Amino acid sequence: MPSPEWPRVEGKRWSTLEAREVHAAYYRDDVVAGMNIEVSAGDFIAIVGPNGSGKTSFLKTLSRALRPREGVVLLEGEDVYGLPARRVARNMALVPQDSSLSFGFTALEVVLMGRNPHLGRLQGAGPEDLELARQAMERANVWHLADRQVNELSGGERQRVIIAQALAQDTGLLLLDEPTQHLDINHQLSLLEMLSSMCSRGVAVIMVMHDLNLASQYCDRIIVMLKGREYARGEPAQVLTAGVLREVFGVGSIVTRHAVTGRPHVVFLPTSDAGAATGPRVHLICGGASGASFMRELLERGCYLTAGVLNLGDGDEEVGRSLEIRMATESPFSHISDAAHRDNLELVRQADAVVLSDVHVGPGNLVNLEAAATALEWGKRVYLFSPRPVEERDHTGGAARELYKRLLDMGAVECREKEELIELVSGEGEP
Amino acid sequence: MEAVAGIAGKLAALRRRRVSVLVVLGLLLVAAVVIAVALGAVYVPITTSARIILSRVPLLGRLVDATWSPVQETIIISVRLPRVLLALLVGMGLALAGAIFQGIFRNPMADPGIIGSSQGAALGATFALFFGISFGWGGLTAVQLFAFVGAFLAVLLVYFIARAGGRVSVAYLLLVGFALSSFLSSIVSLLAVMSEDRLHNIFFWLMGGLGTGSWDAVLAVLPFIVVGAAVSAFYARDLNLLMLGEERAAQLGLETRRFLWIMFVVAAVVVGAAVSVSGIIGFVGLMTPHIVRLLTGPDHRYLIPGSLIGGGLFLVLADTLARTVIAPNELPVGIVTAFFGAPFFIYLLKRRRHAIA
Repeated sequence: MPSPEWPRVEGKRWSTLEAREVHAAYYRDDVVAGMNIEVSAGDFIAIVGPNGSGKTSFLKTLSRALRPREGVVLLEGEDVYGLPARRVARNMALVPQDSSLSFGFTALEVVLMGRNPHLGRLQGAGPEDLELARQAMERANVWHLADRQVNELSGGERQRVIIAQALAQDTGLLLLDEPTQHLDINHQLSLLEMLSSMCSRGVAVIMVMHDLNLASQYCDRIIVMLKGREYARGEPAQVLTAGVLREVFGVGSIVTRHAVTGRPHVVFLPTSDAGAATGPRVHLICGGASGASFMRELLERGCYLTAGVLNLGDGDEEVGRSLEIRMATESPFSHISDAAHRDNLELVRQADAVVLSDVHVGPGNLVNLEAAATALEWGKRVYLFSPRPVEERDHTGGAARELYKRLLDMGAVECREKEELIELVSGEGEP
Repeated sequence: MEAVAGIAGKLAALRRRRVSVLVVLGLLLVAAVVIAVALGAVYVPITTSARIILSRVPLLGRLVDATWSPVQETIIISVRLPRVLLALLVGMGLALAGAIFQGIFRNPMADPGIIGSSQGAALGATFALFFGISFGWGGLTAVQLFAFVGAFLAVLLVYFIARAGGRVSVAYLLLVGFALSSFLSSIVSLLAVMSEDRLHNIFFWLMGGLGTGSWDAVLAVLPFIVVGAAVSAFYARDLNLLMLGEERAAQLGLETRRFLWIMFVVAAVVVGAAVSVSGIIGFVGLMTPHIVRLLTGPDHRYLIPGSLIGGGLFLVLADTLARTVIAPNELPVGIVTAFFGAPFFIYLLKRRRHAIA
């Protein structure tokens, strides 16, 4: 008995999903505590957040797998938990985080199970079902595995078979829980490209992701979850900021713009107890070749070193890169932008002490002195290395000199001898 | 659409292969029934046995000339055939329940006893024997009735205990079943120890056997097995979905909770019916679905009928051996099923290791 929607007319898809003030719990405590979402055709939404923030549970409440304690989930305006499972499965597919495929079905048979909600009970899979299964398998790059038994496939191949199964459901809504986790980078990208092209054809995709950069590059909207609640939402550029990432994940990061896509690109900084560094965290403001020797000496003394803002290709930047130091950077020969300055301040914030080398100061990098002033305002120790007077390296017509004086007034420590400065700095943080 | 024609062809070939396995198993079963009926204290030639059986089949019966003695007819029709058919039905029921439980528990060690049904039946039977209850109903003796009810109640009890909190989880069911089985088994042992004079009867029932085979018993069990088989075949595709896990099955349109409940009741009825007339016969329910799975693959649309035929075939052969090998005495059929079934299963495992685990 063919179902009323079959054969489906293009454009009659259900693709709006709405959750209002949803609370859900497995036992006593809410794992989802008041979430909202509104999804319509063509949306590509990523849900990010730390482990245990309720992302997966939220996806489950949306997909009729975890009944909310409070609030309502509406699929095309109807309560998901009031609809029959088959009806929901014809309109919304979910790719779970892990699925057991430990039996001898072939990949094709598994994908054909995705047609189940469209088939009558005693109706077998017809040519249309086979065609949809084939298309789904090609999109998920598993068509060549059609005859293989799924228990013989690798983790990534199995993951793609399950993705193909969900695609074979041919739904207007697609929910995925960390779909890239078992995939190599090539398949991660082709999966996201494929999802993105499905969005442009009107399918709405909601995806839980851990890789913020992939989320940033492909999704229109990002929802950041923390402790079962929404912490932030919006376009990637609004949401993926160093401040949000520090609050949510508790790690420092530098957010730059991706050189090609212009979307935010996140580089995480090691946490303070990471790595071999045992000494204080020191941020070095330098440029030209004025900081290179400090970098080596401070690293040797066990300092955890960061630097910035440096122009790409600058002598210090090249040394810093070879020493694998975290740096805030700017394009070659450009004035330091606000974004780079913000990244620099983020590094300053995490440092115990700041060192300003005897760098030449021009209009392009004057803002670096302001970063040192900000450090003083935040109560950080600032050391100024000046083997020769600042006037000799002021190319701003006096502005640098003024700022330098202000730094001294605010309590910056000036050293003429490099050894003395290094002794002082590497002793930072000791009682 | 060319590629689709290709895969349609491949799927059809797969289907043909699986159907032919079922057909071969079915022919073997018919042959086994005829041979089993022919063998015994008095040998009735196989062709004669076959013709005697045929003469009782509606329509076909008229094609056969009665050239056999009335004694032969009595032996075949009144003594051996009911016993063989009972073995057939019990084997079918046990294997069907095994296939269902392995399917819904996704656990290769699941057998009809896993959720308390065997021990429930044992307690029911022991109870009837202990108190010497003796009334019959619908072709079943008191012991059989109590065993049936015991098996059925035990399964329901497991289900309702495991359902506490509104959700039914398969892992939870398995653990509750195991715990309840141990509990029931301790009561059976207690009753057995306390019943000095009837200890032998209780022990004999627990060993399992088909010596009670009568047309009454066959007709009493038949409807349960037929209905159980029909319902399971109807839900075979849903059992396939469930192999992906409960949550995934629900996402593919299965009303998981209702489905588990239906399969539970079906399995409980089938096991109860089988165990009530045979006592506890091990191994058939556990191993038959595995052996059939090696032949047909994991698709329940073939595994369910395959297990029905295979279970019947297995127990008919085992029971025939049990009653002929040391005639006029009988071996408990459970000894035969394990003694021949286990090595055969290990042999298949070694050959097709990948298809199991």
